[in-house]
Amino acid sequence: MIPPSPPPPAEKRLHLSDIAAVGGLALVLALAVFNVLANMEAAGVSPGFGFLVREAGFDVSSSLIPYAPSDSYARVILVGLANTVFLAAVCLVLATVIGVVFGLVSVGPSPIGRALALAYVEVFRNLPKLLVLLILFVLAVNGLPHVREAISVGPFHLSNRSVNFPVVVSNQRMWFAVAAAVVGLGIGFLWRARHKLADRRSGAAETAAINLLPIALPLLAILVFQVPVTVSVPELKGFDFQGGGRLSLQFVVIAATLGIYHGAQIAEVVRGGLLAIPKGQTEAAKALGLTPWQSIRLIVLPQVIRIVIPPMNNQYVNLVKNTSIAIAVGYSDLMSVSGTIINQSFKPLEMMLITMGLYLALCLGLTTTFNRFHRRLTRRETR
Amino acid sequence: MKNLLSSVAALTAAFFATPALSGPVLDDIIAKDKLICLVNPNSPGFSVPDSQGVFQGFNTDFCRMAAAAILGDATKADIRGIGFSDSMKTIVADGAHMASRSITATGTRDADPGLAFVATTFFDGQGFMVPKTLGVSSATELNGATVCAEDGSTTLLNIADWFGDRDIQYRVENIADKTARLEAFFSGKCDVYASDVTALLSDRLLSDTPETYTILPEVISAEPLTLVTQPDQALEAAVFWAFQVMLNADILGVTSKNVTAIVEDLESQPKAVQRLFAEDSAAAEMAGKLGLPKDWAFQVISQVGAYSEVFERHLGKETPFGIDLSETANALVGDGGQMYAYPIR
Repeated sequence: MIPPSPPPPAEKRLHLSDIAAVGGLALVLALAVFNVLANMEAAGVSPGFGFLVREAGFDVSSSLIPYAPSDSYARVILVGLANTVFLAAVCLVLATVIGVVFGLVSVGPSPIGRALALAYVEVFRNLPKLLVLLILFVLAVNGLPHVREAISVGPFHLSNRSVNFPVVVSNQRMWFAVAAAVVGLGIGFLWRARHKLADRRSGAAETAAINLLPIALPLLAILVFQVPVTVSVPELKGFDFQGGGRLSLQFVVIAATLGIYHGAQIAEVVRGGLLAIPKGQTEAAKALGLTPWQSIRLIVLPQVIRIVIPPMNNQYVNLVKNTSIAIAVGYSDLMSVSGTIINQSFKPLEMMLITMGLYLALCLGLTTTFNRFHRRLTRRETR
Repeated sequence: MKNLLSSVAALTAAFFATPALSGPVLDDIIAKDKLICLVNPNSPGFSVPDSQGVFQGFNTDFCRMAAAAILGDATKADIRGIGFSDSMKTIVADGAHMASRSITATGTRDADPGLAFVATTFFDGQGFMVPKTLGVSSATELNGATVCAEDGSTTLLNIADWFGDRDIQYRVENIADKTARLEAFFSGKCDVYASDVTALLSDRLLSDTPETYTILPEVISAEPLTLVTQPDQALEAAVFWAFQVMLNADILGVTSKNVTAIVEDLESQPKAVQRLFAEDSAAAEMAGKLGLPKDWAFQVISQVGAYSEVFERHLGKETPFGIDLSETANALVGDGGQMYAYPIR
């Protein structure tokens, strides 16, 4: 028998066609940059980023960091970025939960469940997301009560403006409690690492005590350092609720839209991953006496995760970019503030570059993290 | 320099009591027997071509007003549609005599030597609309309110300035999609809707119950939409006073429909009406000095109409815009607006 010939070594020599392609691309790029700069100079516009320190002069619908119209353009970009990241994070969790649940149901034993999951996936992956967003928004603002007739459950209020809820007011001494919580978490982490290293099982009481530390320590700190704990409760005053925390209706609607939209696509990814696991695996698990839930948790899901990470990665990146439809219903995300800045400062080129750079950084960061995670999982598999 | 020359010419004319000596641009209009007037090529209610390709609308009627006053015939207005920034360049380059296309008069624009801002035909500005049930009669009572406005617009900056200057707390809902924005306002998600007053008036009609909304008196940005001519004292005076005739006609109750009857029975009319239309009237005296047809005031009213007539014809309650003139700044001063009729005597 002839042994299989080794694969030919990858060619290292550059072909003339490669050099020509790269050179041509560089030439086109250089020409574009030169052209833009020349045209801008002819129009009397000088490119530059000096405008970033100028006063923004406009307000935003919500901000996670302190912001006033007298702050700079740079700051309002940061506000938009923070809003985009927050929205993306919430949508990501929501879409994943919805997607995994419907993915599991779509291959589950119940025919009604399978039909429902199929209907859900087919409806939402075939509708434009902007349409879904606008329909949900119009339904929500018209269906939910006016702020004066808000649905109230204790200190929680729901109206067509927002969800209002009580929050703990932060103060200087609060840091003692935060520090205590960090210490508690740190102790737990070290303790687990040592036990893992020693490879021994710990008693239930011991585990419970360690798990309670991150809660018990801050409580202790509050007592010892006399940290004042005041809760701000939303109250209807004048036109709107004052005090407490607030999630705007548009945020909830956008999160729901993207959660449902990407949930449908993730459900398909999960379904594909589940179908790729040979039936023998679950049958073996059953033969070993594992319950259905145990078989999913211990046998199926760990294998599915490895398969679905690359397509999920794609979904998540799309989701981050899709948060930009939020502009339609008044959520001050990166796209919204960037558009307003362009209208005010007439720096379209610079602002588009900044916006592109920020989205690129966000998505690249996400992809790199997932790729690394995937590599680690596959390495473990082959080990 | 052109201005100086024409003023010197006018002064000399007055000194020697020459019967008529008009400015070079006015002369050009009379020599060509047509007045080239620039309008917006597509602005419903203000200037849009009709089925015959003739521009119709509020702004185009001021082109006709000028042609009626200077040439005695409104149809001699050569109305051309042109983009905003090109229109100003065209006038500076002597490609047109005047423009009536919602140009906001601003200090820097008027400082340009090639343009003369003559008469404001439409006062617009950014305002606030609220549901009547809110019980608010002034924007200063809006502390803590939520304001809906178009995302990315100058509206956002005007609001931030205005509320900031008065230390009034507010929340902005900067919604890009118009349907979403209006639904948010009509459903009460926003207490207030901010936009240009004319936009507020027409957007209100999209509600099921337009009568339940009211526009607050505060107008927080000034947009005086003004007629622009080439600099020429005689032309500027002719256009300015033709517009004043239309405003005076409103006060005196003269319209295109009754003006013929009024002129036939001038003896029994009030003195102010006689000063507009009589043979030896103040208007006729002006005509002699400016080089206009003797009956220019009659021609303006009979061919174009009084100011409120023009407004009602294109933007008023009977039109799809349904704007109530008395609710805008374009009502006469006596009716709570800003249109002030200068005396013709």
